[in-house]
Amino acid sequence: MLKALIISNGIEGLASLYADTENIAYHIVEVEKDFRPDLSGYDVLIVPNGSDHIAMYKIRDKIAAFLEEGKTLICVDGWFTDWVPGNRWIMDNTKKSIETRYRIKDDPFGISEQFSAEDLTFSHGISGWWSCGYIEPARDATVFLEDTWGRAIVVIDEKTTKGLTILTASGPAADFQYATTDDLKAYTAMSNLYKAFVKLASSRKLALQ
Amino acid sequence: MKKKIGLIFNGVWSHYAFAKATKYRDIYELLYVHDLNAESLKRFDALAIPFQSNQKALSKHKNLIYKFLEDGKKIFVEGDSSSEWIDAKWEDRPVNNYWWVKDPNNPPVSLTDQGHQIYLGLKARHSFWHYHGVYTKVPEHAHVIQRNVDGDVVTWQTKQYGGTLMATTLDPIVEHGVQQITHLDNYCDRLTEWLVDRKPKGKFEILKADYGVTA
Repeated sequence: MLKALIISNGIEGLASLYADTENIAYHIVEVEKDFRPDLSGYDVLIVPNGSDHIAMYKIRDKIAAFLEEGKTLICVDGWFTDWVPGNRWIMDNTKKSIETRYRIKDDPFGISEQFSAEDLTFSHGISGWWSCGYIEPARDATVFLEDTWGRAIVVIDEKTTKGLTILTASGPAADFQYATTDDLKAYTAMSNLYKAFVKLASSRKLALQ
Repeated sequence: MKKKIGLIFNGVWSHYAFAKATKYRDIYELLYVHDLNAESLKRFDALAIPFQSNQKALSKHKNLIYKFLEDGKKIFVEGDSSSEWIDAKWEDRPVNNYWWVKDPNNPPVSLTDQGHQIYLGLKARHSFWHYHGVYTKVPEHAHVIQRNVDGDVVTWQTKQYGGTLMATTLDPIVEHGVQQITHLDNYCDRLTEWLVDRKPKGKFEILKADYGVTA
């Protein structure tokens, strides 16, 4: 079983989005002044939607060390500070959400079999509400999901560090997802995508053992 | 010297995107919640506390918030809040984000005080997109500005602390930062004028150089 640490920004309802399963057990640590969490003992670090990217930048050395141990970082938020090794998130409002479509680009991990990109694209028939902006991926990272304009939306990076970095362009993902939509298909897609991320992290842990 | 608004900020990207947008960056300034102190608040004429704030961190600064009001200044609070620092009770409710697809001329609001400076002349759909929860208790002398279709309080205001405290479960700053609801210039511009009597100018442009920053 994976041991995961969630970095909490004190936002209401976070715990209900990440409930322990047979595959993963969660612990939550809250950001406070002079935040320096102990990451030892965890396999996965989760940075959920609504995170504190000032605090994350201050502990970028810890994140880098965590990844150098071969562990997994999952960031499903817009990181406007430069704390994710090799990858950059850019906010952008020049594209219309009504024109947004998500499509699989490269899938060496078989994630596309576990979720529906179509369902992620649409919520109540409206497109493009899942994420904002795009990712400038590291040179050798895998772009799993791209948008209408070929911009990286989900990136999986096994190359920049010794660890596994899984990133969305601010699109929320969790075991259970209700906060951004009440459309069953849309939130099932978000949940299934997250479960695929967890499966990848589990495979990595097994490979390290 | 031009008046400025301190945007209390807990590192959330939508707060950052709003405050850094070309239209608002000269009026709003980010104030990291974990670094707040009396000195840092002195130069601001108004404060905005956005949705997705760190309520525990705000509670630690309760005295600073009420001192700011005692000085006769304005504070705008959006989204959720905690009774640890505000004399009101917020409760969560499901978000109806789709009324404008199903019944666009009837937003789920039953009352809006159109005489309030922010709402004066605003169309219904510009003054109410969705809300995050309701207030089931408000301060004794508060004036209710908006209610939902169930009669619950969405927006209220009071002057009983010296300055003006306005709270709403709408989320104009977060959603304008997200940039997926296209009409929020209407609300946010009026909010800004109400807070510091300054009219934002130009387009909401996002500068790439503000992302991937090292500070």
